[in-house]
Amino acid sequence: MKWWFARADGNKTPNLTDRSPEVHSQMLGVRMLSAIAAATLSGAVGRSVSVEVHVSNGLPGFTIVGLPDAAVRESRDRVRAALLSSGLPWPLRRVTVNLAPSGVRKGGAGLDLAMAVGLLVATGELPAACTEGMAFCGELGLNGSLRHVPGMIALADATAPLQLVVPLADLREAALVRGEAAHGVSTLAELCGILKGQARWPEPPLAPATSASSGLPDLADVRGQAVGRHALEVAAAGAHHLLMVGPPGSGKSMLAERLPGLLPPLSHEEAMTVTRIHSAAGCALPEGVLVSRPPFRAPHHRASIVALIGGGSWSLRPGEITLATHGILFLDEMGEFPVAALEALRQPLEEGVIRVSRAGGTVTFPAGFLLVAAMNPCPCGEGVYPGSCKCSVIDRARYTRRLSAPLLDRFDLIVPLARPDPDDLLSDIRGESTAVSAARVAAARSRAADRTASGEGEPPVHPDGTRLLASRLRAGQLSARGLHKVSAVARTVADLAGDEQVGHGHVCDALSLRAARTTVTT
Amino acid sequence: MTAGRALPEEAYAAALASMPKVGPAALRRMLADVPPSVAWSRCTPGHEAAVARIWERHEELEISVLTTSSPEYPDSLLGDPDAPAVLFCRGNPAAVNQCPTVALVGTRSPTRYGIGVAAQFGAELAAAGVSVVSGLALGIDGAAHEGACAAGAPPIAVVAGGLGEPYPRRHAGLWERVADQGVVISESPVGIRTEKWRFPVRNVLLAGLSDVVVVVESRHHGGSMHTVNAAMARGIPVGAVPGSIRSPTSEGTNALLADGAFPVCSLADILVALSLNGVSLPAPPLSLPPSAQPRVVPGPGADRQILEALSPDPTSLDRLARMTGLDLPALCGGLERLAQAGLARDVGGWWERT
Repeated sequence: MKWWFARADGNKTPNLTDRSPEVHSQMLGVRMLSAIAAATLSGAVGRSVSVEVHVSNGLPGFTIVGLPDAAVRESRDRVRAALLSSGLPWPLRRVTVNLAPSGVRKGGAGLDLAMAVGLLVATGELPAACTEGMAFCGELGLNGSLRHVPGMIALADATAPLQLVVPLADLREAALVRGEAAHGVSTLAELCGILKGQARWPEPPLAPATSASSGLPDLADVRGQAVGRHALEVAAAGAHHLLMVGPPGSGKSMLAERLPGLLPPLSHEEAMTVTRIHSAAGCALPEGVLVSRPPFRAPHHRASIVALIGGGSWSLRPGEITLATHGILFLDEMGEFPVAALEALRQPLEEGVIRVSRAGGTVTFPAGFLLVAAMNPCPCGEGVYPGSCKCSVIDRARYTRRLSAPLLDRFDLIVPLARPDPDDLLSDIRGESTAVSAARVAAARSRAADRTASGEGEPPVHPDGTRLLASRLRAGQLSARGLHKVSAVARTVADLAGDEQVGHGHVCDALSLRAARTTVTT
Repeated sequence: MTAGRALPEEAYAAALASMPKVGPAALRRMLADVPPSVAWSRCTPGHEAAVARIWERHEELEISVLTTSSPEYPDSLLGDPDAPAVLFCRGNPAAVNQCPTVALVGTRSPTRYGIGVAAQFGAELAAAGVSVVSGLALGIDGAAHEGACAAGAPPIAVVAGGLGEPYPRRHAGLWERVADQGVVISESPVGIRTEKWRFPVRNVLLAGLSDVVVVVESRHHGGSMHTVNAAMARGIPVGAVPGSIRSPTSEGTNALLADGAFPVCSLADILVALSLNGVSLPAPPLSLPPSAQPRVVPGPGADRQILEALSPDPTSLDRLARMTGLDLPALCGGLERLAQAGLARDVGGWWERT
């Protein structure tokens, strides 16, 4: 049994056994029950919750029922402190909070605000009418301030079509999906004033100027690496999955980090999808809230399978592959990832979605990402350059065994990278900038899109190119699937070069862009 | 059941070899002057049922048994003091006497260089009508047979364990292919698990079956050195493939070269050693090697420029792009044309002049 004694007015200690008539009548005069709309996050989706507050006579206490998690249970201390420090009354009576539907677990601190408002309505501090058609989401600080709640977009979705009150910090996020129906306040006291009609909703803060691609690393920093740059452009233009194989210090990670800059900005629809997921996962959103650049996710190779593909015991959370949707998933040191984690990528790579199933339920997350991976060719790292590897065949086999043939088949580009040329490193000539490359990529993409839109189909490959492919097929150096991939890459190469027809050079280029396949399969 | 019919001499030979505590030397002594059936009745009179059981198992597994009096018994072993009295074969036992034989041996943990060289020589020798002899071990042995199985003269494998189950397991497929196209030979009876002492014995047999022994890659004290010593004791020429002085897997081969083994840099070196050893070679391969084809050097232009940028050392595409100033589709197209003309070669994404 726990006891709380209100000392807001400073001098009254309630006498529980001998109630004075004034106290008693005050108790009878108030409304006893209230129900406030709110929402909690379950995985990546919001779930609407009705916060019912009941205040009754009995021993003073505060109970929360309806499967709250630890953060929700701790709400009672935050709510009480927030009310008292905002100069609002705390009822010296029995308070029961029910979170309906009661059978679903609720987590996070986002229900604090709804509980506080419900309590104020139930004690008669606020008229019930002023919370009609409204929902409240926000965490309370002990001083009565409202704090940021992760997943505000999903929460805002779940509270539609009610008017939604959120912390000022989350207003832009909520307004993204709810527009005018979202209101932001900064303290509980301020909210009380507004609800009583004594004040108006504060003006939303001005949106900061969005900077398109500032802060992204630029390709101009990369010296030399003609093949690596070219591979990035092809990957970006044709959305081809890319595996870079090179010794340590050949700039694999440096190149990969520069790929997002080459991709075109997200369409509004894509941006909304990405922003929703990132908001739900609690990722930091950009200043302008809407994620307009393709995301770049680079999980460490010790990441668990659940962290990669999503999951969790009762709230199914999105994993890294979902966070990388419409962007890039970069697996550095791919040879070090657990085999099970790599194999788990195969299905989402094929289908663009990941279905996460647990005893508690199944969710389908989007997982349409561009896979970029980097690895050393062998344990000693030097294996790309002919004749320089010091590893035994057994060591090499052990290293490359993790990469199954079906997984390698997903990569259209398996590019051998060399260490940059000393002449390039020491020269003052800066490489081509991201802007120039991105323009080429955009042109190639629009060319491909025009072709699809016109419905004419692809012009046939030049006979020289066909002959070369046929000879490789006959020699067994190319499988049927490989042929398909080389053709697709050659098409992208031609688009980048601005050529209508896929020629001999484009096919050769496409073949050279998978030359490291032999390195990682022996 | 075979109880009704008379058992062949080979059945008694197999039964003798399968007896516990009978090694190669004991077997040789037992069979020195009498046929196997007599030897069998000398040491264990009766027990015909055991012989029948053992023979049935060999028939089941399609394993043929050769004694020194069998017509298929390898000619090269006839004068050999260490020649096994009984040989077990899967495949075509006559393959041993068909073609000249060259042993390609080496370490079980080679570098890619060694694997490539072994596979290349294996294929070239088989195509030239020379049987490749090797041990079906991991590494060089396996690579040599992978190459030899492609086409040509029947491959010959000499293994240490019994023929009942392939060892190493990873080469079970290769084992079958060799048995299909040539022969797998063992001195060990069926059911014998591979024991340590059987490997050196196998290596000696391997040397005895070969006209020339070539070591592709070996460490200083590798198992291949057993083969080399046995070959030298029999006056069989030994060749070695030169390797990097920095590569531990070439220590043994480079030391062999220093000791007087003939260097093996091409198929021709092996063929010359064979003919010097008095082996008559089959007709030379029909197609000329690429180096003998006439080369057409391209006229001035991009391809000429690429050719001039190439060197005998592997050069990365990055560097070639920088030197020629061409974009990658043009560069790759030009390199492919040069490769077609036999002027350039692609080594895992690097290019070199040939």
